[in-house]
Amino acid sequence: MSNKPVLELDHLSIAMPHRTLVHNCTLAVAAGEAVGLVGESGSGKTLSVRAVAGLLPDDFTTGGAIRILGRDVAEMGSKERKELRATRIGMVFQTPRAHLNPLLTIGDFMTEALVHVAGKRRTAADRRAAELLDEVGIPDPVRRLRQYPAELSGGLLQRVMIAATLAMDPEILLADEITTALDVTTQEEVMAVIGDLRKHRELSMLFITHDLALASAVTDRVAVMQHGRTVETLHSATMRQEARVEYTKVLMAAALDEAKPEELVRDRDATSVLAVSGLSKTYQVPGATGGRETLVALNGVSFELDQGGSLGIVGESGSGKSTSAKIICGLERADAGTITVTGEDWSLPARGGAARRGRAKKVQMVFQDPYQSLDRRQTIRECLSEAIRVHRPSDSREAVTRRIEELMRQVTLDPELADQRPKSLSGGQRQRVAIARALAADPEILVLDEAVSAIDVTTQVEILTLLDTIRRETGVALLMITHDLTVIRRLCDRVVVMRAGRVEEYGTADEILDAPRADYTRLLLDSIPREGWKPRRRRPGRTSAIPTITLMHRVKEMRGL
Amino acid sequence: MSVGQLAQGKMPVAVKDAAKKDWLYLVALVAFTLMALMALIGPWIAPYNPTQLYAGPENGLPTAQNLLGTDDLGRDVLSRILCGAGVSVFAPIIIVLLSTIIGSLLAVTAAWFGGITRGTIARIIDVIFAIPGLVLAVLAVAMFGKGLPAPIVALSIAFIPVVARLTQTAASRELGKPYIAALRVQGVSSLAICFRHLIPALVPVVAAQMAVGFGYAMLDLAAISFLGLGQQPPAADWGSMISGGKTGILAGAPEQALFPSIFVVVTVLAVSIIGARVTAWAEEKER
Amino acid sequence: MNWIQLILGRLGGLVLTLLLASVVIYSALLLTPGDPMSALAGGAKPNPELIAQIRAEYHLDDPIWTRYWDWLSGIFVGDFGRSFVYKTDVLGLVAPRFVVTFQLVLLTVAIILVLGVGSGILAATRGRAVDRTMGLLTALGLALPGFVVAILLMWIFAKSLGWFPGFVVAILLMWIFAKSLGWFPVFGEGGDGIDRLWHLILPAFSLATMFLAYISRVTRSSLVAQLHSEHVDTAKVRGIPRGRIFGTHVFRNAAPQILAISGITIAGLFAAAAIVEVAFGLGGIGSLLTEAAARKDLPVVQVTSLLLVTIFVVLNALADFISAVIDPDSVSSGRQA
Repeated sequence: MSNKPVLELDHLSIAMPHRTLVHNCTLAVAAGEAVGLVGESGSGKTLSVRAVAGLLPDDFTTGGAIRILGRDVAEMGSKERKELRATRIGMVFQTPRAHLNPLLTIGDFMTEALVHVAGKRRTAADRRAAELLDEVGIPDPVRRLRQYPAELSGGLLQRVMIAATLAMDPEILLADEITTALDVTTQEEVMAVIGDLRKHRELSMLFITHDLALASAVTDRVAVMQHGRTVETLHSATMRQEARVEYTKVLMAAALDEAKPEELVRDRDATSVLAVSGLSKTYQVPGATGGRETLVALNGVSFELDQGGSLGIVGESGSGKSTSAKIICGLERADAGTITVTGEDWSLPARGGAARRGRAKKVQMVFQDPYQSLDRRQTIRECLSEAIRVHRPSDSREAVTRRIEELMRQVTLDPELADQRPKSLSGGQRQRVAIARALAADPEILVLDEAVSAIDVTTQVEILTLLDTIRRETGVALLMITHDLTVIRRLCDRVVVMRAGRVEEYGTADEILDAPRADYTRLLLDSIPREGWKPRRRRPGRTSAIPTITLMHRVKEMRGL
Repeated sequence: MSVGQLAQGKMPVAVKDAAKKDWLYLVALVAFTLMALMALIGPWIAPYNPTQLYAGPENGLPTAQNLLGTDDLGRDVLSRILCGAGVSVFAPIIIVLLSTIIGSLLAVTAAWFGGITRGTIARIIDVIFAIPGLVLAVLAVAMFGKGLPAPIVALSIAFIPVVARLTQTAASRELGKPYIAALRVQGVSSLAICFRHLIPALVPVVAAQMAVGFGYAMLDLAAISFLGLGQQPPAADWGSMISGGKTGILAGAPEQALFPSIFVVVTVLAVSIIGARVTAWAEEKER
Repeated sequence: MNWIQLILGRLGGLVLTLLLASVVIYSALLLTPGDPMSALAGGAKPNPELIAQIRAEYHLDDPIWTRYWDWLSGIFVGDFGRSFVYKTDVLGLVAPRFVVTFQLVLLTVAIILVLGVGSGILAATRGRAVDRTMGLLTALGLALPGFVVAILLMWIFAKSLGWFPGFVVAILLMWIFAKSLGWFPVFGEGGDGIDRLWHLILPAFSLATMFLAYISRVTRSSLVAQLHSEHVDTAKVRGIPRGRIFGTHVFRNAAPQILAISGITIAGLFAAAAIVEVAFGLGGIGSLLTEAAARKDLPVVQVTSLLLVTIFVVLNALADFISAVIDPDSVSSGRQA
């Protein structure tokens, strides 16, 4: 490792007209080093990396210095700067599908920089593109080159993006939340690919993420950013001991805390409040060849939820977990199977207003994105009073006001906020409103569909604690739909693991998290970044060995072609 | 909060806010208000009877007596513009109101019920859309004779598809949002969801569309009159005045065609600036 | 497989729409209050023999469905019926006028595409000042209907610039340029070839103005949307040359939308042409329809309406189809491996 940094941000500040967004971002990435830049949404981490890549809007101004290979980009001519960025920096983004031109094939995309920037011939570029796809472990690269982005999955596309940045043999990879949109097992695959590349290529990396555990597992050092400032920089391996800043500790607690909930004192013969049996559902989707294809969303799913208990349904995207929630809440209709709630048959959606209100009294739901699930034209007071009036249409105004205050207290929301609209609330406050609205009916079951996924990690912990408290106080049973096993650990006593519409494993939280029986559960658990975790490739990857490329070697090769 | 409150209570605030920043918008508002005022009280402030022959010389230039000149029969152009304002400004408003009410009703019905209802409505709308507004208006004239009532009804029908498609897209998008699902799970009744949540959500989209529609309605109606199928002589609206002024151009007196043209263009321009602002407001609401 | 289904589906919908529209057009005229007899007899009080003769000649006594069927099937074999007013074959009236309208629309389309798309590209790429100027110009253009532009052009070219002071130098220069070449003819459709083109220039510009402004705005906004899209960020980071980014990533991706909306706009031109045809005294189908409507010449109104509707529907469908073809995303988005 040489001591001259590949990338150096020195008191970088970024301002849009009339407002400074990043005050001080200071960090350095040495050759071959990987540095994580961690912070919650709005901390300025993405803006900082976009400044490095030259992607800020025209009316933004920067202060401080960005040095690439020891040279200040502000002092370079625009042509030189552009060339430096094109050849020395590679950038990968959060949403690969949006960042690829949908009208170009993977091959066009891969060879574009080689042909139009490096000036290679078409055939040479094609050959190189296939090699690069192979290097990131994409099977059958030649066929992939002819396909369009719409034909590839998100995980594959992200690898294509990584392969494309390698085409110019960059010094440093800027990775902006590259696995956030991916499932946890796919995340591991992509991170494993990056780990391999860094080993073979002496590639430096600036890894931007909100996930401190992931950052510490795949980088050498981590810079923590809050409110537009880097507050501290730690060595990943000894992060826990080194952390001094309170905010870092909170982040760490939120990400790494695996404490179990306190045991609930419950009746031994708790009756089941919800029983689902043999639930099946298929959708008709447009198929690859023009006709319609049948997508099996649920295939014979069964589980039970005890009175006052909490059941987690875990699975990756497409596992059918959300479809189950929708069917239980009457938003979708099952093809087969039965649902029993407090002894009543709920297999078919409710007919008529009275029946719907009756069911609403028993089962309520909290959605993933509170901003989307609240009517943004309503104030909190209007929203809650509407929810209360559904079940008590003749209550006096005073009674409704009292109930609103009670609900807001229950979800620890400042009553002063009652006349605000969702727009002026934070993410955590919005989700509290959504929970209060669900509690208005005094339900027996609360369905939480990824209810904390869209929220920053520190707030996530608060909401989960709140839900646990509510469960203890009111005895409401929780049905928690999530992709995140750490959430399950904190809140659930029983767990269903789902995959491709089937139940893979069903048992108590302890059994599943500590002694999983199904291979898939084990895979899910192993994919979660934690202390001492290293991403591994689990599927057959490359088809030939990667030649180890050194920096010296590469410069010659570029001239030769 | 009711639809009415939203429509009336919120708009002026948005209008006030925007006006602070944007002089162009303010000018447009003033211009449109003046035009509307003219339409209301035009006949009372007109210096001459609009059909009075030889209120001045033939094809006269603007003078102190005839501020905007006279036409080929010596009628006062200003008086004719003032008296034609009523028809020229209010007829498009009728068209916009009729097409918006019918179109929105069809759209909400289609989005709400889906299935066969939506299919049937879509087919009806396709057929209406297949006949260009101008052709439908000319057809109506062929059926019911020259004059404004037939084209007004025809254009009201012809504008339905645009309103209906736009509103239906907006309604379907709104119905697909999680907050509607959340309301259903809460047990809120369908009627309450429709009237308390869906329709207020559509108000900005429909308002923006109405402003755009007004411009097109005004131009189409003026075009019908220009073709000689709308307002019949001796009464005049701006379109028929432009048409009548054609002969004046050849006689070296272009004012009698140019002045009504300016009134048409200024009104449409003002409304389109207001419309753009309402659209921006609608998009703001969407965020 | 996919394509054939797509084409057949669209074609079926198109034929159904056209059939329903033809029913509307035909029946609307039968619902006409008053008797077509008055139009046929030319206003004079007709005697019973004449009435019987006319009723037989125009099949006015047959049941309505028979008459609709005769009319529709007649059109397919080139029998368009007889005009009440001219007492001649409708086909003979429509055909030459259609040629004039067609030429007018063709010239207008050329103007719209070249100037509209061109100015849209300028607005999207040449900085804020150009963008704002274009924004104001197109706002004005959108408020300038064909008949107003016609009046302005007539005033400028037919007579003289006159005393009106508000006119800018640019138009003066254009006028001098035109004058040095000889006048733009203002009225009539002229003879053939170059003479015809010469006669169509002013009407085409009148017809184009509003649509031109619209296409300019559409082009600008679709380009701006692409310029701000994330895949363009990717291309920028990779150092792809500006020209290639614009051609391959911005313009090509915006093209389907621009083309689709241009298609719909062009489809509307045939009907909108009526206004400038009347304004400039061109003998096109629009002016024929207007005249026939004013004189209640039902067979001519029916055929010209149906012709305009058919053109409108077919061009719309074509635009829809072409933009689907050049946008593989709309076809392949369902596939995923």
